[in-house]
Amino acid sequence: MTDSNMHFLVVDDFSTMRRILRNLLKEEGFANVSEAEDGRLALNRLQAGDIQFVVTDWNMPNMDGLELLQQIRATPKLRNLPVLIVTAEARKENIIAAAQAGADGYIVKPFTGATLHEKLSKIFSKREQRGDV
Amino acid sequence: MSTNTDTAELEALFDSIATGVARQEPPSPSGRQAPCQEGQVASIDGADPGNHRVFDRVGRLVRQLHDALKELGYDKLLEGTLQSIPDATDRLAYISKLTEQAACRVLNATDIAVPLQAALDADVVALGKDWERLMSGQMDVEEFKRLAHRTQGFFTGSAPERIGQTRAQLMEIMMAQDFQDLTGQVIRKLVMMAQDLEKGLLQVLLEIIPESVRNEEVNGLLNGPVIQTKDCVDVVVSQMQVDDLLDSLGF
Repeated sequence: MTDSNMHFLVVDDFSTMRRILRNLLKEEGFANVSEAEDGRLALNRLQAGDIQFVVTDWNMPNMDGLELLQQIRATPKLRNLPVLIVTAEARKENIIAAAQAGADGYIVKPFTGATLHEKLSKIFSKREQRGDV
Repeated sequence: MSTNTDTAELEALFDSIATGVARQEPPSPSGRQAPCQEGQVASIDGADPGNHRVFDRVGRLVRQLHDALKELGYDKLLEGTLQSIPDATDRLAYISKLTEQAACRVLNATDIAVPLQAALDADVVALGKDWERLMSGQMDVEEFKRLAHRTQGFFTGSAPERIGQTRAQLMEIMMAQDFQDLTGQVIRKLVMMAQDLEKGLLQVLLEIIPESVRNEEVNGLLNGPVIQTKDCVDVVVSQMQVDDLLDSLGF
């Protein structure tokens, strides 16, 4: 089973969406959630090393979600971090780019709590199979 | 969404303008812009480092003006404006649609949740009254048995069920707020478009102002804020200030 104490980082430039994601994660049993406003701030926050799961928007100022993902995958101590992208970018090329960059999941806004639940479960079970979590 | 591509193209255009300005002379100037550029290039050649920033900024402005004029053309300005207005209208309609949907979702959720709360409230009040009767010895054994069953039914059935349903509606209300993220992105794009449009129009305006009135006009624009804050201690400039002054004097 997954650790309900797992530390999430929610990255979105809109505070409303951060609150929604925080509440949804709480519904899923994950109350330990930190927030960042953009990719650059998220990357700084990740340096502390206590974050275990990243949920990020794509379109953000300073550093977007894709670049954040690429930076995470290029950093040895962060590279195994699960990254779920939650974005309004619904074009095929976006989804392909995210997948190629190593995203664990991709949710298109607007989305439902059920979708988030499904994607999280999928990521956890995949990672469990690989022995990553 | 093609709008994203547009933004990217605009950004790429902006970047190329911003980096290219200081280094290279703007290409193919028309007769109208030629004097400005000659002045600029000559100045840069003889510039000391302290002045470089000013020249750089002037250069950027000239380049933007040049590109705006080249892109729009005086005759095409109207066309460009007309094209961006339907796009803006679509975006505003999208915002209107999403906010309306969100409002409906929230109102529907409260329509469902309020009766659930009312029913819970009624049950709690009724059970409370009966328990008070029991505690003050006004209840026989048969009635007590029925109360016990009702209470158990409430705790294990109707209460958790209604609480769960209410909770679901609260989640629905929360999820309905996701429009803000989507409309926010569209609004940002609209603001950018309005700024671009304003900038373009202002540049064209500055370009076509006759030399004779240009200094006066430009100075007027530049001095505007200064007049408001510094130079007008005893000068009133608007009706509101006139009214305020009269108020302060007791009229």
